[in-house]
Amino acid sequence: MTPKNNIVIGIVGALIVVASWNVGADPAEFVDGIPNLGIVMEEVVEEISDVDERMIDRALWSMLETIQMAFVGTFVGYALAFPMSLLASRNLASKWVYVPIRIVLAGIRTFPSILWAILFVIMVGPGPFAGILAITMYTLGFVAKLQYESMETVDADPMDAASAIGMSKLQLIRHVVMPESASHLFSHLLYMFDYNVRQTSILGLVGAGGIGFYIITHIKFFQYGKAAFFMLVVLLTVLAVDLISVKLRDRYVVKSQRGVVDAAH
Amino acid sequence: MSSADTPSIVRMSGVWASYKKKTTTLQNIDMEIKVGDSHAIVGPSGAGKSTLLKLINGTMMPSRGTILVDNHRPDQRDSVFRSKMARIGYIPQSLGLVRNSTVLDNVMMGALSRLGGLQSLLKRYPDSEVDAGHKVLEQVGLSDKVDRNVYTLSGGERRRVAIARAFMQRPKILLADEMISELDTTTSRIMMNMVRDEQKRTELTVIMIHHDIELATEFANTISLIKGGQKVLELGNSKNTITNFSIGESVQSGNA
Ligand SMILES: Nc1ncnc2c1ncn2[C@@H]1O[C@H](COP(=O)(O)OP(=O)(O)OP(=O)(O)O)[C@@H](O)[C@H]1O
Ligand SMILES: [Mg+2]
Repeated sequence: MTPKNNIVIGIVGALIVVASWNVGADPAEFVDGIPNLGIVMEEVVEEISDVDERMIDRALWSMLETIQMAFVGTFVGYALAFPMSLLASRNLASKWVYVPIRIVLAGIRTFPSILWAILFVIMVGPGPFAGILAITMYTLGFVAKLQYESMETVDADPMDAASAIGMSKLQLIRHVVMPESASHLFSHLLYMFDYNVRQTSILGLVGAGGIGFYIITHIKFFQYGKAAFFMLVVLLTVLAVDLISVKLRDRYVVKSQRGVVDAAH
Repeated sequence: MSSADTPSIVRMSGVWASYKKKTTTLQNIDMEIKVGDSHAIVGPSGAGKSTLLKLINGTMMPSRGTILVDNHRPDQRDSVFRSKMARIGYIPQSLGLVRNSTVLDNVMMGALSRLGGLQSLLKRYPDSEVDAGHKVLEQVGLSDKVDRNVYTLSGGERRRVAIARAFMQRPKILLADEMISELDTTTSRIMMNMVRDEQKRTELTVIMIHHDIELATEFANTISLIKGGQKVLELGNSKNTITNFSIGESVQSGNA
């Protein structure tokens, strides 16, 4: 540890204390609050026993709706992001194209998904469609950046060769850029879906469909046990999605990336 | 082989080239290569040989002087020349293969300009082209590796994929940058004979950068020696033949 590092750590530590003070974050309040959690937990345990068939039904259907929203939003957003990322890549587009496209994408990214959801609820009314639009926009802004960053790392050597044998820009994208970045692109898709299932679970808070609607409703009526049951369903689903995407990533991404490493030697 | 009245396909006069301002990579190069010629470029490392090929296929522009390739100024941004580039076979020194694609897909890239736009984007290759791809892979001895990803190949195998891709272009001119380095003597000869056979069948012009002087003299009818960005010697033409001795000695002194 160098003295310079110590100074940096000292400054960051001081900033955390000052910022906490400014926003009134008091650790003592946290400790005082622990018994409250106990009370809630008691209620949860008490109420969770009267979870009936109807509630299970409702939880599963709304979770399925959530997954479908995430699925559609992820794929549509991803598909829209792809052409945008081609136009935003410095090695594929000219400055006059990639600079404005990047500004637009950065603008889209400034909104968290919940703000997009509010906007679309106002536009198209409450319901899953607003949620899908929100997820689509969020995915577009976020994944396009991941995509163009991977496309920019594609080796210039095959691109130069392709262009030297007279291949067109589109042919170059299809036959060089896509295969060379395929494993990254697939990995982004998995990552985004995984992340979007979590995000979509809370969009119901603003009326944009999905399981979040039930969670917020039960909390509003102090039915913490019921809210907890819905949250448990979200938790299990997210774990399952996570597990599946890890498996897929191992199977398809890790293997082909190992190939790239091999080729570098 | 060419005679005095054979038309020239590559003509350079007073060509200078540089990658950065203030440094020159090539100086005052004059060169004339006739249709059907087999021209070898030799010279020490860093002399500017690869740069010379980039000027011929229009991927690099000269800073001074004029170049004519197939009666056109080479420039990859010029649409007329771009259509000619499809028939300028190019084997770059670094090969330029797509590592995550199969051997066949890499070879088929040489045929893309002959296919329709949509066909080439959907990888819907006509059977005749796929057959041609298999045939050229057989010629370079890679029949059993057609579906392998390029990253799993050995260095010499990769080089042969690049050779096959260039042949797939049905080239009028072949620019080969040390295409037989990494290959054993027997395979090198097979590759060189393959080029020579193609020259007998068609009017293919070959411009090849060589490391091996013996092979250069054996297969080329004209040779340029490049040293320090300048053409210091040209040997052979349609009338006289080159002796191993003279070119060997020139390169020796060129390297010193
Ligand atoms: N992309 C580039 N940017 C800057 N300088 C370059 C670039 N490519 C080549 N050079 C420089 O230009 C000079 C000539 O390079 P070139 O590749 O033409 O040499 P060469 O004769 O092919 O050498 P070798 O036999 O080692 O392949 C070298 O000094 C090299 O460092
Ligand atoms: Mg070179």
